[in-house]
Amino acid sequence: MAEIALRMGKNPVARAAEVLFRDYLVLVMIAVLVAITAIVEPKFLTERNLTNIIRQFGPLMMVSLGMTFVILGNFIDLSVAGIMNLVAVVAISLIGPWGQVPALLMGLAIGAGCGALNAAAILTSGALTQAEALFLTFGMSTVFSAFALLYSGGVTQHFWETKASKAMFETIGSGTVVGPISASFVIFLVVLVILWVFQTKTTEGRAISLTGGNKTAARLSGIRIKRSIFVIYVVCGLMTALGAIILFSRTTTATPVLGAGFETNAILAVVVGGTTLRGGKGSVLRTVMGVLLLILMSNCLDLIGVSTYLQVVTKGAILILAIWLDNRKQV
Amino acid sequence: MAAGGSEVILSIRDVSKSFPGVKALDRVSIDVRRGIVHGIVGENGAGKSTLMKILSGVYQKDGGTIEFDGAHVEHTSPHESMQSGLAIIYQELNLVNTMSVGENVFLGRFKEMKGMRGTHAKARELLDSIGCKVPTTRLVADLSVSEKQMVEICKALSFSSKLIIMDEPSSSLTGEEMAQLVTIIRQLKEKGISIIYISHKLDEIFQFCDVVSVMRDGRVVDTKAVAEFTRNELISKMVGRTIENEYPPRPHSVGDVVMEVRSINTHKLHDVSFTLHKGEILGLVGLVGAGRTEIVRAIYGADKARGHEVLLGGKPVVIRTPRHAKELGIGLIPEDRKLQGLVLIFSVESNISMGSIRKFSRFGFIRRSLEKGIGARQVEALSIKTPSARTGVSNLSGGNQQKVIVGRWMEISPQIFIMDEPTRGIDVGAKYEIYLLMKRIVEAGGSIILISSELPEVLNMSNRVLTVFEGRITGEFDPEKTPVDEIMKAALGLEGGAA
Repeated sequence: MAEIALRMGKNPVARAAEVLFRDYLVLVMIAVLVAITAIVEPKFLTERNLTNIIRQFGPLMMVSLGMTFVILGNFIDLSVAGIMNLVAVVAISLIGPWGQVPALLMGLAIGAGCGALNAAAILTSGALTQAEALFLTFGMSTVFSAFALLYSGGVTQHFWETKASKAMFETIGSGTVVGPISASFVIFLVVLVILWVFQTKTTEGRAISLTGGNKTAARLSGIRIKRSIFVIYVVCGLMTALGAIILFSRTTTATPVLGAGFETNAILAVVVGGTTLRGGKGSVLRTVMGVLLLILMSNCLDLIGVSTYLQVVTKGAILILAIWLDNRKQV
Repeated sequence: MAAGGSEVILSIRDVSKSFPGVKALDRVSIDVRRGIVHGIVGENGAGKSTLMKILSGVYQKDGGTIEFDGAHVEHTSPHESMQSGLAIIYQELNLVNTMSVGENVFLGRFKEMKGMRGTHAKARELLDSIGCKVPTTRLVADLSVSEKQMVEICKALSFSSKLIIMDEPSSSLTGEEMAQLVTIIRQLKEKGISIIYISHKLDEIFQFCDVVSVMRDGRVVDTKAVAEFTRNELISKMVGRTIENEYPPRPHSVGDVVMEVRSINTHKLHDVSFTLHKGEILGLVGLVGAGRTEIVRAIYGADKARGHEVLLGGKPVVIRTPRHAKELGIGLIPEDRKLQGLVLIFSVESNISMGSIRKFSRFGFIRRSLEKGIGARQVEALSIKTPSARTGVSNLSGGNQQKVIVGRWMEISPQIFIMDEPTRGIDVGAKYEIYLLMKRIVEAGGSIILISSELPEVLNMSNRVLTVFEGRITGEFDPEKTPVDEIMKAALGLEGGAA
């Protein structure tokens, strides 16, 4: 109580500033980043660079939005890299023989299926902690990646290898809808609205947050936590598949290792956005900010000419900062 | 002041502490004399913990003076206060579970002890001095709560503390362990060490405190020798109003059997069978770990149990999950409010509504207006003290948090209410309100299974009492007609009995 009183006692401006820095630091960081880069490097605010940024964020955005639900439920999913690999190599290879719509659906189905397998592994082993989920999904990731390698024979596949129509994928990858607004951006908006409604307005979304907030209490008050665990992994798998499809549509090639690194970046984006690793509190909208910050940062650092190796260091620093802030909020 | 030595070891003079909007301490003055046990009682929020945090250096006082052992004190950190000879043993003990007893006593001071051999030897000496036989090499994780407490006490002694503050030390001790703590406290007294004993339990205050200070709303309302207080006087000083009884009169309209349980067997339970009647409060009495909680968890579907039969209103049912139990009209208030009952990061409202999601949703979509109604209704009905229904439940006092869990179930009004330690760690006033709620439930035709480590509570609230010992039911008693020691004997497994 005392702490609350302490906070409420400050004048409104100080309080607003405190809330801004504590809860929306990521927004402040985005603003600072944009301002500095725009001054130092005029190329940053060109239309070309901005559309480039919007194109870039599609795949990571999808994966991170899916990951948000897993982390909300106080679990974690390291298998997204494996899922991306598998979805990409299977979906691209089916465009020729099956046609593009069945290939797309099959890709999504594989994503959801892999998520269901993750959930099944967690539920049957009785793993109820984030740490256990970490190892289990890490194991699943290697399994999915192995299947991707077996299926593709380790070969990179290209769009031009098949003569069948792939107009839909080309639109997803680099098409525009109105003016400079890309198709992938429209997909993002639609998906975001659906996920936001799912998270905040449905009973299942509530059940996921309650499960993440306290599994024992949720279970003892009659919430189906097993179903919540199943749902979060399926949603994450599905969103990961969508991310993989957007990614290979843009690059027009699929390698069996194209998902590498996405798991860490997605977790980074979710946590930096402000969804707590402890589960229960967070939002898909926060994740959007987190992804935006990461993409903007790498874009800015690229423009300024910072080496990729150093960029990894800044990512790590930001993650530590985010977790530090999160822990301060808990006290 | 009548009892205790004459020399004042700790003198708190006009200490105040404000948090913006709240005066947590208002010119508090307490003198603690050498070699006595000084009780501090008060409801939650009375300022006890703020005072302790100032003494230990967690908070800084706004005004007033504190003299400890003849010197002015301006502690700025808990470590500093420990060094000066003032130790605090918190309710949630601060030990490292994965380290040994000896290592915990001298944590961070191995060098001073000349290595691990010295550490263990010195720890042994300290443990022996309070009559604790636990090996110094044992892991703290393997100790019982009372043994852990002894380790904490040794840690305090290792700093040659002159004053030890114990914050609700008995909240998770059994009767036997409590007796041991009392012995230790007496030994400490003989050594000239003063003890500040913070507790909700009046029995303890009367049993071994010499002087007691009553706090209310940030003030010390009275300090007297314990002998000069009557029980009712102490209670009314604490709550600021007169409470006629600690327990409401027992309801008496017990009806037909609503639930029958036949032979529950798990690795901890052996052939547990009993019946529960409509409108009845059935008490389960036994030591911590006797299997009381396991019995109700097995019925509720929270733990796996095999081969047992449950009949609800004469019909056999199989309850596999808590959700299933809920649908059949059974509600559980778990023993650990914070770990098992509440989702602490959520609001009062969400914590109430989480048991009845179906009631405020349609086609899987939440209808906020209905949810708000549920929250407001229970906050009102149970007079939960909270700034608003959207306030985080973690900001509420223990008693009000417990009411939130009760409210969660009241919303779906289960036929059978299982309450596991419903009043643990909450103050007298809030306890009475919980008792009234229990009465309201049974009068409305519900039934309650009550588990409590506070014997007077079970005996005064229950219509019927079952004693549990090592996973078996060892007796059934009418608490109104049976002498307490007979029930205790059965609970300790000394002899069987039936009424």
